[in-house]
Amino acid sequence: MKIHKNILVITALLLSGCELTEVTNPYVTEDRFLTGSQSAVTWVNGVRRQLSQTVGTVTEFTELVSDNYFNNYTQSSKVFDVPQINYFDIDVTRIQTAIHQLLEMSEFGLTDVLPRDPESTQQQRAELLRNKAYALILGAELFVALPAGPLGEVQEPEQLLLTAAGLLDEAAGLFAEQDDKLVCALLKARIYYRLGDAAQAIRFAQEAQANPLLLSQVHYGTQTGPSNNFQSAIFSSTTNQFAPLPRLDFLDPKYFHTTGVVFDDEKPISIAKAEEAFLIIAEAQAAANELAAARETLRQLLTETVAKRPVVMLDDSRETRNGGNRGDYPLTAVSVRFDAGSDPVEGLVLDRQAGLIPARTVSGTSVTGAQLDAAVSQDELLYLIYLLRQEIFMAEGRRMTDLGIRFPVSQREEQNNSHVRPEHTKALIPSFIPVNRELDDFTYDAQQGVVTIRHDMNKILVAHKSAPEIFPFNN
Amino acid sequence: MLLTTIYYTMRNCLFFVLLPALLASPYAKGSTPAGLLPHNLDRAARLEINQQPTIQGVVLDMRTREPIRGASVSIANTSWVSQTAADGAFSLRWPNGESQVLLTISSVGFKSQQVTIQRAASESPVSVYLEQDLLGLDEVVVTGQGLDISKRRLSTNVTSIGSEELERTPSGRIDQLLQAKLPNAQIRLTGGQAGATSIIRARGVVSAYMNSTPVIYVDGVRMDNLNTASSIGGGSTQGAAVSSIADIPMENIERIEYINGGAATTLYGSDAANGVIQIFTKKGGASRTAVIVDATVGRETPTTDFLHFERTKDLLFEPGVFQKYNVAINGSGERVGYSFSGGYLNSSGVQLYNQNQNERLDLRTGFRASLAEELTYESTFSYVNNRYKRNRNGNQGGYTALWFTESGASAVTGPQPRFNPRIDEQGDEEFARMMAYVDEAERLQDNEIVVNRFQTSQSFVYRPVNSVQLKALGGVDFRQLRNQTIQTNQYLTHTTGNLTTDRGSINNGERKYWGLTLELNGQHRADVGDFSFVTTVGGQLFRNEDRQVSYVGTNIRDGARNIADAATKTSDEVYYEVVNYGVYAQTNIGFRDRLFVDLGLRGDGNSAFGEAIGVQYYPKVGVSYIPSAGAWWQETLPFFSAAKVRGSYGIAGNFPPPFRNLRTVSFPGYLGEQAAGFGTPGVDLRPEKSSTFEAGIDLGMLQDRIVLSAGFYHTITNDALFEVPSAPSTGESDAFRNVGKILNRGWEFSTNITAVQTASTSLRINLAVNTLHNQVLSAGGAAPFNINGFSERTIQTVVQEGYPIGFIRGSYGIFGADGVMERSIPLQYLGTTIPDLFGSMGLDFQYKGFSLFANADYQQGAFANNWDSQFRYNYGAGDEGIPLGEINSPRGRTGWLDFTNMFIEQTDFIKIRTIGASYSFSRAQLGSRLQGLTVGLNAINPFNFATSSFDPEATISGSAAGQGGATTGGIAYATYSAPRQFLLSLKVSL
Repeated sequence: MKIHKNILVITALLLSGCELTEVTNPYVTEDRFLTGSQSAVTWVNGVRRQLSQTVGTVTEFTELVSDNYFNNYTQSSKVFDVPQINYFDIDVTRIQTAIHQLLEMSEFGLTDVLPRDPESTQQQRAELLRNKAYALILGAELFVALPAGPLGEVQEPEQLLLTAAGLLDEAAGLFAEQDDKLVCALLKARIYYRLGDAAQAIRFAQEAQANPLLLSQVHYGTQTGPSNNFQSAIFSSTTNQFAPLPRLDFLDPKYFHTTGVVFDDEKPISIAKAEEAFLIIAEAQAAANELAAARETLRQLLTETVAKRPVVMLDDSRETRNGGNRGDYPLTAVSVRFDAGSDPVEGLVLDRQAGLIPARTVSGTSVTGAQLDAAVSQDELLYLIYLLRQEIFMAEGRRMTDLGIRFPVSQREEQNNSHVRPEHTKALIPSFIPVNRELDDFTYDAQQGVVTIRHDMNKILVAHKSAPEIFPFNN
Repeated sequence: MLLTTIYYTMRNCLFFVLLPALLASPYAKGSTPAGLLPHNLDRAARLEINQQPTIQGVVLDMRTREPIRGASVSIANTSWVSQTAADGAFSLRWPNGESQVLLTISSVGFKSQQVTIQRAASESPVSVYLEQDLLGLDEVVVTGQGLDISKRRLSTNVTSIGSEELERTPSGRIDQLLQAKLPNAQIRLTGGQAGATSIIRARGVVSAYMNSTPVIYVDGVRMDNLNTASSIGGGSTQGAAVSSIADIPMENIERIEYINGGAATTLYGSDAANGVIQIFTKKGGASRTAVIVDATVGRETPTTDFLHFERTKDLLFEPGVFQKYNVAINGSGERVGYSFSGGYLNSSGVQLYNQNQNERLDLRTGFRASLAEELTYESTFSYVNNRYKRNRNGNQGGYTALWFTESGASAVTGPQPRFNPRIDEQGDEEFARMMAYVDEAERLQDNEIVVNRFQTSQSFVYRPVNSVQLKALGGVDFRQLRNQTIQTNQYLTHTTGNLTTDRGSINNGERKYWGLTLELNGQHRADVGDFSFVTTVGGQLFRNEDRQVSYVGTNIRDGARNIADAATKTSDEVYYEVVNYGVYAQTNIGFRDRLFVDLGLRGDGNSAFGEAIGVQYYPKVGVSYIPSAGAWWQETLPFFSAAKVRGSYGIAGNFPPPFRNLRTVSFPGYLGEQAAGFGTPGVDLRPEKSSTFEAGIDLGMLQDRIVLSAGFYHTITNDALFEVPSAPSTGESDAFRNVGKILNRGWEFSTNITAVQTASTSLRINLAVNTLHNQVLSAGGAAPFNINGFSERTIQTVVQEGYPIGFIRGSYGIFGADGVMERSIPLQYLGTTIPDLFGSMGLDFQYKGFSLFANADYQQGAFANNWDSQFRYNYGAGDEGIPLGEINSPRGRTGWLDFTNMFIEQTDFIKIRTIGASYSFSRAQLGSRLQGLTVGLNAINPFNFATSSFDPEATISGSAAGQGGATTGGIAYATYSAPRQFLLSLKVSL
């Protein structure tokens, strides 16, 4: 074989000269990268980028699945609003892929890149560990089950979360900065919340409360990105793509640009913030019927955290909710009934033509101290806690999990991975979730100036609080 | 002073040799050197030369007795060749020292003839009558053989088309020109816009990775034949992409040869599983210089047959003007031939504001020189400038005229209040408003594609002895494309309905392709008793460099036409480079000129092969038998004038995409800093290899009044490159792998019947019928993947084990008795996009100088998704046959993706491509001032008959698999049909 190849090459040389048989590879091979300088720094940057992209992907699609946003345009998912979630849906694949890419890039950094770069640091290792844990948390929160490694065994969310907790323990020990350690604690509180372990959740949430303005975000922008696609869908695009449920109108947009060029001002998305510690503790207290304590925790949440988050006055006059699929979004300041049986509430739908509007880039809520005072039963408190969670985590990709909805393992995984069983390929959509796009549905009586939301999903959640898919502390 | 005239033979004698001889001669004595000045010597030499005899003659059509223009006349065992003029005349100088010569006279479509002429009789002009040759057994072809070989020796089919046939129909591009002219291939333009990609396929779809376009050679130089979207600058993958075929030089073509993939293309090795089209251009003419001026003008009208709404044609189209002018000068001198041609085409298109205008300039020179009796040099240069506008189409996002009108999107986008998407039901006021809106949206579009292409071929043919011919060839194809899309704030404001002041953008994509071809080969002919041997050995190398860049300016003021003043500028780059080098050897052994055995082998190296792959071999073996060459045949089977039986087995390949054999790291950047991620996974790739077994028979009956060719082929593609979707859990990107196995098999029939044949009249009918069965036999465990279309939940054309390549996959809805959908089954087979029957037909009537001709092609058995219709349903622009029960159900129209089976239509069609008539004035009518005058009328695309409500050809070309990827069409979406043209042409030969 070799001799023959040599004959060929010699013939080619006779024909033309040796340089004609050579090609210029414009790409950097993996070997060359690993043996080059600054590989750890560059790889960690790449993982950060992947984290931004993963969070962006999760946010875009889960917000559509939930009652938070409706896709009023033709781009992005046309069926998640139904919600219709099939294991063959390319967007399910995209979300799963985004999570695994974060997982595998973190893993490759830990096992291949950092050990071969003499300049790698403990901080870098800690960051990769935390990112890997975050990928597992997302996997557990969003999917019915997921492989924990390439073509690996499919693990239940509980297993994924416990693995993540171990990684966070290791990361916390390596981080030098206090806030980094607190973020690990907050993520662990989130893990134990999801596991329904109130004691552990409270323990780590309280640890995270050491900084009531604790905030960890993923970043976007610059010419090379990554881009905040969700910002594009709710503000920056020339078309008005995603529209919020009218009762959440006042929280939109969370991400926006105020510069001439979009990528000069792409807002970060929060992945861990102190508010969550309060919400976890309050929910644990409410579940334990410690209602007064829960009210107090929530009051602290409003005064010590939410009230101190930034508010920007924004010109949003281009927002006319004219994406195309629905033309009846209210554009003036009208009142909202949370469902047909509720009283109208003022101030939740903004008139964007009347002047600048307040925009909250981290947290905002309509819930007031008075409402907290009025909540005297467990159900009333749980209702407010889930309304708070919905409003505070608006546009952060958390609501779908609170609704008890989970994605299936993608068909592309099933076709390649023998560990995927049929039950893994079915989405989890609890029976109390309305279908046929009713999650985002409303009626608008323009003459009376009243919008009526079809379903108050927080009310429905509380009514089904014993359902296994939701309220981890109650089940 | 006494002037003595010296006659001195100086043939084959250099001047510095001659001069001393003259000085030494007795006549030189006492003379001054001036007496031997070249003036007198020159005269002497001229006298001698002038006395050298020439071979003169005329070549005529045996049936009509009319002269044959452009026939090739060559002297055996020399490199000397001439062509006949418009009056059929030729002239060649008598070779030195020969007492007799053997002339070979050939012309495509006629049987070659050899004539021996004695020097003693050289003063008498010779008349050669060529007999029409519909079977073409003795035609000499090159493609797939390395060097010249007679068709009778071949075990595979070669289709040749001569210049007369090619020049009869005015055409803007080579694939359109060949439509309905290649009996065993199907050519479908995927859209009516200038530069649209085409789907060219013959023996099915042998690859799921590479589109089925054949490799194209012009004068032996491999051309860029990218026929789906490029990575940058080639149009959108889900809209209409830009084809490199659209600007292949097509001036002054002498003939085109086409071979199907398989055993016929084995000598092209890793590059030719889809077949080869080879274009030969003119490099000379008759001894008298001929000037041919050709002018075509006419009208273009939109093809509105397939529009859903009556009023769409009023909204989007207007008639246009087509102009095409050519000048060609061909001639030959003592030992040189020369050819020059220039052409200009201007088609205004049929869309508003000339948004699909096409201007094209072609220049070509061809040159041939006999440097010595045994050495010929040939050279061609061509330059093409192709410039066209292109309004938005397909799935480009935002406003698209056809999406807005035909797909019903006016219900959801555009100005407030929205329009009633049922356009035909609009009131006059609303329609006037919509017309004004669409008119402005079209006016504000500013998209342009400019291609500059330069191609050259240089070759030397050397015959050291009569039995040996050596050829060295080198050439370059350089193509530069610039695709510019300008979106002004005014356009964005108008089409989105939202005031936009800072989003104006200019998006430039450039692609530079540079392809080098080098080939060196030799052929040896030997006759030993009853045996004859034609042996060819050669080596070929080609390298392609393909650099693509985009440079984009955003936030740019309306009116700017470059990005210099953009507030932000971004750029990107893609680079592909591949080198293929191979050697080949072939021998064709003949026995008594009737039985031939063909053996060949090529070995290839390629830069895209994986490191462990090594040299790849492509063997072939074939047999050809001409039973009619025996005397017994004519005695026992007089009905059959000729017969040939052939069978062969051979392998041809497609090399893998470059650099995929490397495991790479990508650097996408993070907040302005360097950031790394996984690149390509790195797989050792080998070429996909298509092994073809074929057998056929070619028959001529009733003195070739009926010619029939029938054959069968069976092709298995092993190691087919599938873009295997990676499991998400690997975190890796999808990767090509040699895992597939694809079957194509079918029958190929073509017949040519001469119904009437007299000296003045002929009527000929041709028909080609091809069947095709395509199936993915094995996917090697790989998951199904998409080659066209959108996402799994919408519509895709998919490659999956057990199914034909590119079948339509979508949701299948089952409706109850109440008309409400009961169940939706996702990811179902909804039909194949590959026809199981296709072919062409033609009619050719001639009476003296008048001829009438028509051709058509057809297909049957394929399906496509009517995505426009599906959108119309979704947007309420029509009920589209969906039961009212479903529409009135709580689901409303939200289930539009759950019953895609309701939007699948069969795409059988017969399309009349051309109906033409021409009249050529006879020489008697023209007198002495003109050599020829032909007036022609052509109707292009006059009639369409289709089972589908949409244009079965106008399907987005797609190629979700990336640059050059496979596509089978199959989705009708916001794509323009090719316009009709009614053209008057005038051709004058001076």
